[in-house]
Amino acid sequence: MQGWAGKILDINLSDNSIETVPLDMEMARLFLGGRGLGARLLWDLVGPEVEPLSPENVLIFSTGPITASSSQTSNRFNVSTKSPLTDTILHANSGGWWGMQFKRTGYDVLIVRGKAETPVMIEITEDGVQIKDAQHLWGKSVFETTEALGQDRNKRNVMCIGPAGENLVRIAAIMNDKERALARGGGGAVMGSKNLKAIVVEGSEKNRPEDQDQFKFMLYETRKLLKASPLTSQALPEFGTAVVMNVVNEIGALPTRNFQQSQFEGADKISGEAITDEILVKNQACWACPITCTRISKTASGKEGEGPEFESAWAFGAQCGIDDLDAITEANFLCNDLGIDTISMGNTIGCAMELSECGYIESDLRFGQADKLLSLIHDTAYRQGIGHDLAEGSYRMADKYGAPELSMSVKKLEMPAYDPRGMQGQGLVYATGNRGACHETGNMLGPEVLALPRLIDRFATQGKAGIVSVHQDSAAVIDSLVFCKFANMAVSVEFFARTLSAVTGETFTEEDLMQAGERVWTLERLYNLREGFTKDDDTLPERLLHDPVQEGPSEGFTANLAPMIKEYYAFRGWDENGIPRPHKLRELGLDFAIEEAYD
Amino acid sequence: MPISALDSFRWIKTMKIKLFGGLRQKAETAELDGSGATIREILHQISADHAELGEALFANGSSDLRPHIRIMVNGLDSELIGGLDTAVGVDDQIAIFPPIAGG
Repeated sequence: MQGWAGKILDINLSDNSIETVPLDMEMARLFLGGRGLGARLLWDLVGPEVEPLSPENVLIFSTGPITASSSQTSNRFNVSTKSPLTDTILHANSGGWWGMQFKRTGYDVLIVRGKAETPVMIEITEDGVQIKDAQHLWGKSVFETTEALGQDRNKRNVMCIGPAGENLVRIAAIMNDKERALARGGGGAVMGSKNLKAIVVEGSEKNRPEDQDQFKFMLYETRKLLKASPLTSQALPEFGTAVVMNVVNEIGALPTRNFQQSQFEGADKISGEAITDEILVKNQACWACPITCTRISKTASGKEGEGPEFESAWAFGAQCGIDDLDAITEANFLCNDLGIDTISMGNTIGCAMELSECGYIESDLRFGQADKLLSLIHDTAYRQGIGHDLAEGSYRMADKYGAPELSMSVKKLEMPAYDPRGMQGQGLVYATGNRGACHETGNMLGPEVLALPRLIDRFATQGKAGIVSVHQDSAAVIDSLVFCKFANMAVSVEFFARTLSAVTGETFTEEDLMQAGERVWTLERLYNLREGFTKDDDTLPERLLHDPVQEGPSEGFTANLAPMIKEYYAFRGWDENGIPRPHKLRELGLDFAIEEAYD
Repeated sequence: MPISALDSFRWIKTMKIKLFGGLRQKAETAELDGSGATIREILHQISADHAELGEALFANGSSDLRPHIRIMVNGLDSELIGGLDTAVGVDDQIAIFPPIAGG
């Protein structure tokens, strides 16, 4: 294969049918792969009438044309489905080895439909594709399942759910390679609703670039850029992603105690610096990645595992008023083993803490109770006690107890670790996120805080629409190729275009890719509009819109969203209701969606 | 009334400079005492006292900061309030960040 394998593996668990269908190459060129192809296929396969946890929902696991090419960071892959947490389109991506290995089985995409009568697993090897009984695995943790199925680094790779997915926890993750996660939005519950425990892959086909000489040149140039950048050669390897904890705290944008404050007195204790000093064992890299940002950590009690990343450390840390790094790290490990999104878990626990302190929940749960984390996470996975509420996510939980305004979420997806009152552009990113409050689809940390590529005033609102839109589109490109966004800190989209051209033998320009990114973003928007979402859903929690920060560098600020939304819709070529105009859809080659978009 | 040299010395006050990331290893501390009327003066003073830190902040003999170094004054990026010539006083909180990335 050169780029695309040209094949989709389509499995229906209701009737055990296994089919190989050709990949529409015109579709592939327009939507690339990964998240883009996932969105395009989901548009056709899952309409508004489909309940996320019903057999009619599908899981689309998709790689990109550069996956397994050995280009730096070409290990990632995507899952697309309808989210049981948000009811929006869901895309999530993960690193590790599974995506590369799946590509080596000779397919670009795996579609899983229907529902098995009893728990099953799918195995894709050189011997063929099999649906096997997995009743003996049902109930086992992620770590147990991964080991039982013979995980072997870059030879045989396991993707599975844990008890959380089995119990249809709305914030359940799909885990791969033991501790990598397709985390956000409840994909694990969709997999559990199909009685699908695991997918194991073992392949040998190569993604051989068409233009070998140009590809080798791009490998060499990319290696130089990654090595020359202090971000990818020093910052990330040395301290991991949590090194941004202190700078976000310093500027007064670190959400604390369910976004009641924007600075945390214990931030340094749970930072990348603290992780490196106190619990780091070693770095780890995903396949074909020289950045090695992954932490392998060990707590005082002897527990060892991957993480914590910045978002996880924040979610169980500042969000819950906890500065105990060991407790936070073990919470992270447990989420990995039970298969739960750490951002949603920590954010939801913080919400429960505030609900309890305010008397909405009769409980002794309070901010700062590090000793409660493990039991809360366990109970969430098994839907026991208050865990049953936590399993529904923060919005449904807070709504049940009469205080939905205390859920710090957008479109019911729990907000990550940046307070929009201290980073106005980030507020626009969260409010307009197609899968809800998401920092991965256009993070403004770069321009608003780290001066990447250059510094803009984080309190300003005018002019943010264009920057946010470009960030969202470029993130969609990266998620569709599928590269790692950390590579983008040193390597431009133009470089990715040249690498893609070398791999496929077809000419792609930076403009082609950015248009593809906008195409993907817009189609996701249309999907949500078709589901019934409106401009009223492009918003932020009331606390952020109306309660000014009380102290610190962001004192006095609220999230001034309205003018940014207006500017954003106009910049995107959408009408005042946030609906893409017909000319925009034609411009992006989304003609097929016009009729339904205006239905 | 003329101010004696001793009186002049009494007026020089120091401020706390917070260091982050790899700068802590360079200075062998997470917090330094610094003095100066502007950020530039403070950086030169702490660089003179901590050679490895100075090397991390400034390229060989240059007066320009290395790329991606961020200086915060009371949580505001100095680039937006006056750059290295930003005036600072003893009540200001200064934080220096090396190149960092993540999220």
